[in-house]
Amino acid sequence: MSLKVDHARCTECRMCYIVCRELDINAVYVALEPLHRIEIDLDACTYPGCTACLMYCPAEGSIVEAATGRSMVPPPPEAWQA
Amino acid sequence: MAELPGKALAEELIGRSEAESRSTPFEDVIAAARTGMLDGDALNRLIGRLWTLERMFYYIYGGWGQGLEINDFPPSIKYLFSKQIVDESTHEMLYLDLLLRRKLVPTQKEAFRHPYGQFSVDSALALYVFSLRNLATYPHPVRIAALNLGPKIVEFAWMAALADVVADPDLKAAFTSQQVENRSHINMGRRIVEEFVAKPVDAEMCRWACRVAAQDYNRFLHELADLVLQRQTPPPPVQRVRVTD
Repeated sequence: MSLKVDHARCTECRMCYIVCRELDINAVYVALEPLHRIEIDLDACTYPGCTACLMYCPAEGSIVEAATGRSMVPPPPEAWQA
Repeated sequence: MAELPGKALAEELIGRSEAESRSTPFEDVIAAARTGMLDGDALNRLIGRLWTLERMFYYIYGGWGQGLEINDFPPSIKYLFSKQIVDESTHEMLYLDLLLRRKLVPTQKEAFRHPYGQFSVDSALALYVFSLRNLATYPHPVRIAALNLGPKIVEFAWMAALADVVADPDLKAAFTSQQVENRSHINMGRRIVEEFVAKPVDAEMCRWACRVAAQDYNRFLHELADLVLQRQTPPPPVQRVRVTD
């Protein structure tokens, strides 16, 4: 299971990038295209083991479960227990 | 539309930098990439040093930001500067992502300690960084002229040339994806010089600052080319300036 960014809602504030780097998980990266949007590496992301990006994301619905499309922002109660 | 006071100066500075960009110490690196002579570690050295330079822009722009005051320029000028800071930060992230993806380092913290990512005070990179930071006390259009109409134009040219020939797809994409932002920095530099450099004394200061920044950037490029190609060549000559007060 992993997370992905909904670019229609993401404001590109990059808080997810910062916390992911600080935790040395390095799953969030800047895409190598001119818009330089934030993406999540499905192989590197350790969700649901780590939910740090969800805790800092300010834009409702901008991070979703890759498999189900379920919005994870604001984080549901179970995310706080991870 | 009224004629902009700094139009001729902007053209002059752009023209000079474009001429300089046709021959830089980076030609040999581009030639090596064209013939497939840049191995994985050479690319790591290149990316590591470019990342080191990019992250130093937090330090440079931190100083420049303190030189902006209330009501000294219209908000649009400050917006353009903030956009440039964000873009530079994006480029820093791109290079760090590459270092991690190429597994040169396992973590961001390790990247700071790795020889390719370390900041050394005794280097041409540091000289260039301190040279730019030194412009913190100069009027904003002067330092923007120095960087955006100087080294940024040289960088734009070598980066486009290297992106054309480098085989590594990630590095090619990292360079290519920066082009729009780098072009926008040059354009915003042109606009600021055109609009805000009106007096001859300011124009002369722009010429001086642009010349110094270009010279120091050239020395950085020389050091970087030597590091990437694992060679030692004599550095380019430095123009001596007599200081009087």
